[in-house]
Formats: sequence, structure tokens, C-alpha cells
Amino acid sequence: MSCEELKDMYELYALGVLEAEEKAEIDAHLARGCVDCRRGLADALAFNAMLLGIGPAENPRRQLRHRLLASIGYERPGWFWTGVLAASLMLALAVWMGTQERERSNQLADARQQLMQVTGERDNLNQAVRFLSDPETRPASFGRGQQAPPRGYVFLHPQLGVMLIASNLPAAGAGKAYEMWVLPKTGAPRPAGLFQSDGMRGLHILAGPLDLDAVNAIAVTLEPEAGSPGPTTTPIIVAPAS
Amino acid sequence: MRLLKLIPAVLVYALLQVALRRDDDADLVRRLKAHEPKAMADLYKRCGRLAYSVILRIVRNVGVAEDLTQETFLRVWNRVGSFHAERGALTPWVLTVARNRAIDHVRSQDGRMEASAVDLDRLERPGLFMDLEASALTIDRARRLKSALEKLNANQRTVIELAYYEGMSHTEMAERLKQPLGTVKTWTRTALQILRTELTEAAIA
Repeated sequence: MSCEELKDMYELYALGVLEAEEKAEIDAHLARGCVDCRRGLADALAFNAMLLGIGPAENPRRQLRHRLLASIGYERPGWFWTGVLAASLMLALAVWMGTQERERSNQLADARQQLMQVTGERDNLNQAVRFLSDPETRPASFGRGQQAPPRGYVFLHPQLGVMLIASNLPAAGAGKAYEMWVLPKTGAPRPAGLFQSDGMRGLHILAGPLDLDAVNAIAVTLEPEAGSPGPTTTPIIVAPAS
Repeated sequence: MRLLKLIPAVLVYALLQVALRRDDDADLVRRLKAHEPKAMADLYKRCGRLAYSVILRIVRNVGVAEDLTQETFLRVWNRVGSFHAERGALTPWVLTVARNRAIDHVRSQDGRMEASAVDLDRLERPGLFMDLEASALTIDRARRLKSALEKLNANQRTVIELAYYEGMSHTEMAERLKQPLGTVKTWTRTALQILRTELTEAAIA
């Protein structure tokens, strides 16, 4: 066949759909360097590409670009970022759970402390009721007639011990505590325990048997927080036992 | 409503305007040859949508179209070494590879033309895409071609569709359409002549 006869076949040749005999004709022309056929094939390739390119346009999904670029090592594949995100979320979750756990522990410790405080107050109140309701309790008052002193009562009981209830008692201050003393009729003052005031009231109980006939008075001094073996300051409260 | 109908055509032309520019081809080809990953991103930006559209129209399956689009670009990436940076036409090459990969897939699914894979491979060699006339790749000619397609009668459009998007030979078309081989050849030849004439007139104008 001549080049003129082949000119209508270049597009189909370029598409790879030409029948075997016609394809062989063009192959032969190209093989011997036929300029017209080479030009015809180049035009056909451009024509075919244009015809393909004017079809309806569709948008590929964004993942396709990532997948393609990941395949040549340009971008991380989608699952990598998914993994990073999942790991970040898990780390954040672990940190959050740790914080929650710490908060719960702190709350639990606070609750225990409050419970101990309430339990202590309840025990004191029970003890106070026992003191006040027992006929053997001997009351003594202090602070009356003085200018702006702590005022209150001391209750003495031969088996229950000593209970001191003071009002108008200021807070002891940082590093300080009130210390109660049993002043015997003879001998040195005996330590009878440390206590604090809430700024208004103070309640302290020395539990245990006490020889009331040997007690001269109950006194309170301001001492270091750890207490002292003997009074180091002038007594704030002195309540005579009889 | 007429305005709405124009929107797809405007999009196609705008897409072609981006895709068919040749000024940047040489630089892009040089970077592709150097296997600069950014060049692949640029190539995909330029031709990805076109290649995917061609492939999807042929295989009609999104997942398969994505696989074949990836295969197309990797094939270009691996074979660009023998592409001529100054005289080569990049977009026609990518579109040809895309169409051939899709046709090869459809043919293998149909179990027909087993030897054709070699032919398709031969027809997308980079060396063939040299010295394609720049005038063949203008927006105006693309518009003319689209308009010319609408002038074809139903039979002519059908054979063009079967050749370009189903990869059928004349014999296969004749069997599919239950028409004499000579009739199908005439439809095809006439259709291509009409399209070519429109393009030639556009080039002269």
C-alpha cells in the first residue's frame, strides 16, 4: 500500500486496533523510515490524545494522589498518618487517664483526712457527753472577771480524766500549739497533751484515771508545735481544780 | 439552562488549557528524569485528572481506575529516561499510556486479543511522542474537535467510541454491531475524516 492509502489508518494504528494486515503495512513503512508515515503517526498520536482529553472530566479521590506519591517515597501513605494520629490519641488518653487517676487519689486522700477529722470530732463530742452526763464530773471555770481572756470550763472526772472547753481562744499560730498541764498540789506540772484552736474555740481531753484530790489546777500555755517537757510561757488559762 | 449546559465544556477547556501547555514540558521532563519526587506531584497536578477521567470512562470502576492511574504514572516515571525533553509532548504521552493501560485491562478481562498487550506497549514508547505539532494542541482546536464530534451521526459516534474507549478492531465492531465489515470501515473512515477536516480548518483559520 502507498502512504496515501494508509493515511486514514494512522489513528487506528496508534490506538492498536488496526487489523493485522493493515498494521503490518504501516509497520513496514515505519521500519524503512518512511517520513510521511512517521509524520502521519505523530499527528495521529496528537489527535488521539486530544480526542481522549475532551471527554467528560471526573475528579479522582484525594487519596489517589497520596497513594501515588507515597509509592515513590514522596509522601507518607495515608495509613502512616492514621497511625500517628491513633498513637497521639492514645498518648493523650494515657496522659488524661493518669491525670484523672492522680486527681482521684488526691480526692481520696482528702476524703480520708476529712473522715478522720470528723471521726475525731465525733469521738470528742461523745467523750464530752460522757463528761457532762456523769454525776462524778467536777466542773471548774476560768477566765471570769479578766479583760478579753479565754473563757471556759474544765471538767474533771476520776476515771474519764480532764476535759477543757475554751471560747475566745485565738489560733495558736504557725509552728505553735496549746499545751495543757496538770498542776499537782506538790511537784512539777505534768504535760496533758497538745491541741489547737479554730480561732474561737478549743476543746481538749486528757483521757484516763486521775487522782482529783492531788490536782491543784489545770493550766494551758502556748508552746512549740512539738510540745515542751515543762511550761515555757506564762499560762493563758489557769483553772483551779476546786 | 443553556448556561448550565456550557459549564462542563468550559471546565474541560480550562482543564485542557492547563494540561496541554507545552512551555513547561521540557523543565518538567528534566526533573522527572532526575527522579525529583516533586516533579511527579507536578505531573499529577497537570495530567492526573485527565488520565483518571479517560481510564474511568473505559473501565467504569472507581477502584480499578485508581489502580490503573497509579500504574500509568509509575510507568511514565520509570520510562521517562528515554523521553526527549525538548521535542517530546508530555501530556499526549501520559494520556496514551492511560488509555492503553485501561484498554489492556478491559481486554484481559474479556479474554480477547491476547497479543495486543505487546502492541499497546510498543505504541506508547516515549520516542513516538516527539515533534507532535504544537498547533495540534491548542484550546481552540480542542473546542473545534468537541464541536465536530457533535456533528457525527449516531453510527459514526458509535464506532469512534468503540475504537477509542473499548479498543475494538473493525472486525470486532462489525460483530458487535452486526454490520458488514465494509460498512463499519466506512463509518470509521468518514468519522475520522470529518474530525480531521474540522481541525485542519481550525488550523488554517
